[in-house]
Amino acid sequence: MLKNFITIAWRNLYKKKLFSFIHIIGLTIGITVCMMIFLYIMNEFSVDRFHKQGDNIYRVMRRFDVNKNMVPYLAGTYGPALLNDYPKEIKQAVRVCPTHGLVQTADKKSFNEKKLYVADADFFTLFTFPLIKGDPKTVLKQPNSVVISQATAKKYFGNDDPIGKVIEIDQLYQLKVTGVSKNVPSNSHLDFDLVMPISNFEHYDWFKVWVNNNLFVYVRIDNPATAAALEKQFPAFMQKYMGADMEKMGVKFDLHLRPLKEIYFEPSSEFDNVRHGDQSVVYIFLSIAILILVIACINFMNLSTIRAVERSKEVGMRKVMGALRNHLIWQFIGESVLLTLISCVLAIGLLLLAMPWYNQLLGYELTVSWNAAPIYLFLAGVILFVGFLAGSYPAFFLSAFSPIQALKGKLQLGKSGAFFRQALVVVQFCISVFLIVGTIVIYNQMSFVKSKDLGYDKEQSVVIPLNNNDIYNNMRAFKNDLMSKSGIQSVSYMSGEPGGFHDMHTYEAEGQRDVFKSRSEFADFEYVKTLGLKIVAGRDFSPQMATDTTDAVLINETAAKKLGFTPAEAVGKWIKNNMRDSTRRKIVGVVKDFNFISLKETMDALVISPSDDRRVAVIKLKPGNVSSGLAAIKEAYARVAPAYPLEYTFLDQKFDTLYKNDLRQQTILSVFSGLAIFIACLGLFGLASFTAAKRTKEIGVRKVLGSSVQNILLLLSKDMLKPVAVATIIAMPFAYFSMQKWLQNFAYRTPLHWWVFVLAAVITFAIALFTISFQSLKAAIANPVKSLRSE
Amino acid sequence: MIKITDLEKFYRTEEVETIALNKLSIEVKTGEFVAIMGPSGCGKSTLLNIIGLLDDPDGGSYIFNDTEVAHFNERKRADLRKHNIGFVFQSFNLIDELTVFENVELPLIYTGVAAADRVKRVEEVLDKMQIMHRRNHYPQQLSGGQQQRVAIARAVVNKPKLILADEPTGNLDSSNGNEVMELLTDLNEQGTTIVMVTHSEHDARYSHRIIRLLDGHTVMENIMI
Repeated sequence: MLKNFITIAWRNLYKKKLFSFIHIIGLTIGITVCMMIFLYIMNEFSVDRFHKQGDNIYRVMRRFDVNKNMVPYLAGTYGPALLNDYPKEIKQAVRVCPTHGLVQTADKKSFNEKKLYVADADFFTLFTFPLIKGDPKTVLKQPNSVVISQATAKKYFGNDDPIGKVIEIDQLYQLKVTGVSKNVPSNSHLDFDLVMPISNFEHYDWFKVWVNNNLFVYVRIDNPATAAALEKQFPAFMQKYMGADMEKMGVKFDLHLRPLKEIYFEPSSEFDNVRHGDQSVVYIFLSIAILILVIACINFMNLSTIRAVERSKEVGMRKVMGALRNHLIWQFIGESVLLTLISCVLAIGLLLLAMPWYNQLLGYELTVSWNAAPIYLFLAGVILFVGFLAGSYPAFFLSAFSPIQALKGKLQLGKSGAFFRQALVVVQFCISVFLIVGTIVIYNQMSFVKSKDLGYDKEQSVVIPLNNNDIYNNMRAFKNDLMSKSGIQSVSYMSGEPGGFHDMHTYEAEGQRDVFKSRSEFADFEYVKTLGLKIVAGRDFSPQMATDTTDAVLINETAAKKLGFTPAEAVGKWIKNNMRDSTRRKIVGVVKDFNFISLKETMDALVISPSDDRRVAVIKLKPGNVSSGLAAIKEAYARVAPAYPLEYTFLDQKFDTLYKNDLRQQTILSVFSGLAIFIACLGLFGLASFTAAKRTKEIGVRKVLGSSVQNILLLLSKDMLKPVAVATIIAMPFAYFSMQKWLQNFAYRTPLHWWVFVLAAVITFAIALFTISFQSLKAAIANPVKSLRSE
Repeated sequence: MIKITDLEKFYRTEEVETIALNKLSIEVKTGEFVAIMGPSGCGKSTLLNIIGLLDDPDGGSYIFNDTEVAHFNERKRADLRKHNIGFVFQSFNLIDELTVFENVELPLIYTGVAAADRVKRVEEVLDKMQIMHRRNHYPQQLSGGQQQRVAIARAVVNKPKLILADEPTGNLDSSNGNEVMELLTDLNEQGTTIVMVTHSEHDARYSHRIIRLLDGHTVMENIMI
């Protein structure tokens, strides 16, 4: 019996090749997409789960402003103080300072390493980053030791044993390799290539200042209740060590404990540059996976039903020969499971092909292997669920017919059946329209963000980080050198380029009772000129004014407004940075608001002062001279920092990094909505061919009676497009509300134009019509004599 | 073997009720070869379907082998059908996706005959129908006469007591038609009861008795001599 079922199932597939192809390929794509998303979600939720002591590790977070996200950066003093003050509660405290450095090997190869961690000796005992060589307890005990990752070892020393080899970091520290760690997997929020002992830095003065923020502190607390109790004692701790500083600044800092496993998905501030995930992206992915699987299942059901109807003679004969209803039900469900099985096998193949592309889209390598046990469980689930679900409708539907009806080929898909199938098509196209609207809106918003006038000149501006001592100590020479070149228009050193770092500081200001919190920029006198900012009141910093460096600031319009002044009134008022300055400065000018932070945030107050803190150089090139300008920069850089390779970005590239997640969402959504529509259209194609075939006789009669090809095309297409139209109408409000919600992420957004919805409807209709017209046209131009005879 | 009394069957659509069988009574004895004739729409096929337990009557009694079967449920009917009745249709109703051998084998699968036994029995019957050489062909590769021989082979492979034939020669030319009628006659001579619906007086002459129907009831019975 089973053999007979398989034989007939296989021959049916083989006989109707196009139909089988549509049937299988739709489901295959659906399953592939689901597997991709399943892998992604598994990866996201596996982050930091590999640490053996993961449940007991917390990162200490500092809060500065209750309205803002907490910040993970603390000073070097916190770790030892916490251990000292709470010896019973805190078992281990490990400081981790992510930095970068120039590494030189004995054979004079040099590498600019971005993932250099400076950490306490306990780093490898607190975290579970397995060592291939070296003892976790002792690898970082000596100040002159270093642990490197497997890939780094290979890069430096090839196949030689790295243990005992000496490397030099930043031309200052001679370190001996004491351990080799396995490469850090992508599902870890910490990510390093080298770890060196923090003991090399402990003697520096800046390291001992409590208000500085440059490293993370992780603590091990073996009991969650203890952790909660400990948090209550932190205000006293802060008062003890930071009391005087806090009073001076007029603010209060809080400390909190963030469990290790929550770090990845915590709402991350721009100041936290460890790897973070976005839970909303996970949910968007998950919804897409479900929607696509629903579309694929609906297709499968509709096509199975159609296919089954064409086998009415077989159903009838089987019944005549004594087959019971449940025999037939099992036969059809079995076939459906078989088809699902084939699709799963194909889907695995497709997944393997798509994996490199997918990793690229995600921006990292998925750690979960495609052939892991959960994938098989997932596939087994899909086979059973889809196979049974999609197979059961045609199975029950067909087996209910009496043998006489079946034999006469009169398995009319009744009115309720037709309604059901149309409802399924409506659901499919609802989802498609929804995804199309989403894609258009996201695309629209991103191009709005991209083309919005940000209030500063971002064209032909090169950004160079001042991230090594050579360039830092020779800033002046570098600038002078550049300014002598013809291709360079201006050079400015600053603490953060637009879209970059703008720290929050507290100020006292004239006429203010409360502390005034504002974003801060520390820059030289060329700041306004280089960025092309507009002064709306007062004047720019001027080298002619000898006191500007110590006595002047510029503020933006928002800051003036927050202080309660018009720009003109603000000029001449005093302001004092509580955290850095001991004397008041005078506001010499007000710049027009420009978007120095992401467009997701509303405009914030900004105070620009010419005091020290230089982190980047922004170099404005003269128009049309990009390559010669870049060559000049390279040359000048090599003169002052010959050991370091020049790293630069263009200011207008900032867009891509600032909106990386949104751009990724845009790509993913467009790819997947394209797939969704493709699968839905496969189904529509199947339905159209079925309808055309079913109405062959009607078409024949109509043609004999004088109907034209156009009339028939119209007749067939009209019927098929009806569910598409209904779907469009239903999907619009859903799409409207969810996109409205998405747009709320942005402080600056495009309105939801009516034409977005019209465009989505037009696209859907065009694609659907194109799909249908193939079959309709074939039916319409067929010779009526033929179509009548075949009946 | 078959005793039908006051059998009724109606077909209803939303507005019209059609009487297909109107208080019809007939009897068929074991070993008989009966032909049912009558104009289109007189209820011949309906009667055959009810006799074959493919359809149930709306009234009256149907006794098959001393058992009242008029109100049997689907399972019981299917069971009775597969062990006792073979069908031959005008349009053959062979399954296109199965070979000649597999088509004939199908009823044996449903009656649960062991695989080895099935091969033997199918080969035996194919041999008898002289289509053994076509065993691995698909129905579309055969002529109409050959297809009907396969259909008859399929109908008799289970050794049914009764064969119901619905215009078995309707789609065949006269020489192929005669061949089919000879086959049915042979089967009848070996003891199988045959009830055949036909339009053809020529075919009807192969039978022992002709029952003529008009508007759902018997109008005449001719005994063939």
